[in-house]
Amino acid sequence: MPIKGNFLKIEAVSFAYEEPPVDVLSNVSWSIATGAVHCLVGRSGCGKTTLLKLAAGLLRPTSGSVQMLGSEVDKPAQEVGFVFQSPSLLEWQTVLNNVLLPISLHRPIKRADQMAAEELLQFVGLADYAERYPRQLSGGQQSRVALARALITKPDGLLMDEPFASLDAITREELQDELLQLAALRQTTIFFVTHDIDEAVYLADKVAVMNSGRIVFSTDVSLSRPRHHEQRYSPKYNSTCLNLRNALTIQ
Amino acid sequence: MSVNRTYLLSLLFLIILIIFWEGVVRVTEVSALVFPAPSAVGLVLWEGLTVGFLWPHIWVTSVETLLGFTLGCAIGFVTGIILGEISFLRKLLWPYVLASQVVPKLALGPIFIVWFGFGMTSTVVITALICFFPLLENTMTGLQSASPDQRTLFRMLGASRWQTLLKLKIPSGLPVVMAGIRVAIVLALVGAVVGEFIGGSAGLGASIITAQGMMDSTLMFALFIVITALGMLFYQLTSLLELCMLKGRLEVQDK
Repeated sequence: MPIKGNFLKIEAVSFAYEEPPVDVLSNVSWSIATGAVHCLVGRSGCGKTTLLKLAAGLLRPTSGSVQMLGSEVDKPAQEVGFVFQSPSLLEWQTVLNNVLLPISLHRPIKRADQMAAEELLQFVGLADYAERYPRQLSGGQQSRVALARALITKPDGLLMDEPFASLDAITREELQDELLQLAALRQTTIFFVTHDIDEAVYLADKVAVMNSGRIVFSTDVSLSRPRHHEQRYSPKYNSTCLNLRNALTIQ
Repeated sequence: MSVNRTYLLSLLFLIILIIFWEGVVRVTEVSALVFPAPSAVGLVLWEGLTVGFLWPHIWVTSVETLLGFTLGCAIGFVTGIILGEISFLRKLLWPYVLASQVVPKLALGPIFIVWFGFGMTSTVVITALICFFPLLENTMTGLQSASPDQRTLFRMLGASRWQTLLKLKIPSGLPVVMAGIRVAIVLALVGAVVGEFIGGSAGLGASIITAQGMMDSTLMFALFIVITALGMLFYQLTSLLELCMLKGRLEVQDK
């Protein structure tokens, strides 16, 4: 992957809640090159979601700096799409209108927007579902709509908070492949938080391990792209997984 | 058991109940003043509807119910949004809102008659006051329905507070608001009828008082039936409204 400068640069960031005083992150630095896919793994409550929210501009660090494309992030970043743990679709809107939401909040929908949304839906295999409502879809289909919604504004980056955690194994693999393909199309930078080591290694160029608010380990993943599910069974893949597994429990 | 068969059974239950009632009245020869026979009630009801003396009263009570209901729901909904959104006002006004509801509203009837006179206005005001609270309460609760992720999504997308209210909080709270509306419509009819007891010169409630004055229990029973039918009709109409408003999200995965 060519290095074209940093998309995201987190420098010496700490974060603490005031009431009650709890240190969530201490002195975290991390940067992601434009177009790279980075995963952050950690156990529940280690602060990984907080780091993602800091990157998104949803939280402000207690100290340190977060920069996106060279400028300080001080409000919710418009350059990135955010994908949540739950698909969080609006159940009173059709699938198509859900995908178009990030645009319709700011300006009237044009024909071109609608076509872009239909194209995204087609890519995730939901072309026939545009006029359905979210409750009529399965969990995997809802996650696909959420992914399409995050991509409709053609963002430079995606911030993803365990988006596939509640899906069955095969559906998750399918979505991982779709995500990588969609990201490759536009060189989208991805910062992906997960607790699933396997998912992290499959998706990432680089994986960081977080424990008690610190990044304690990181490793490059030198698997060829495009990724294929058979790579999951290669020795290199497995040894990377094992290293990460061990890193997760070091104090 | 199929739905149709349950319906039939439930109808059968009604018929058995009426036959039993008729039988008891005939065998015991209890006075019609105390317990009129269903056949007599049916006859009065039929005459009232065909000769037509019931219709003006049905009209008056319906208008009062719907006016009070619309007014009370609208004010309750708007107040619910304001109090739900502005926590300062909520803290400031909530005790008074609550007090205004704990006061038995029908006890306010006499003072409303002093203010608004006998007739429709007083009854509409009482009805509106009764409908106000369920809507206020349900709107305030409903506005909290959006999930934390959905709220964060709207923040992330740079939505204004106004947009978040109109495009997220109100639509996501609509099922709760609609439940409030279903409660309100039933209360509205009770409010209108009892309001007429106090200050009405026309309407089904006023007719009950008149019938009582004439010791005409048969007519009173006929009026009960009319009020019940009216209530069920209104309830069904709001259920229909709910179905239209919540179209789409009521449907579930169809496989």
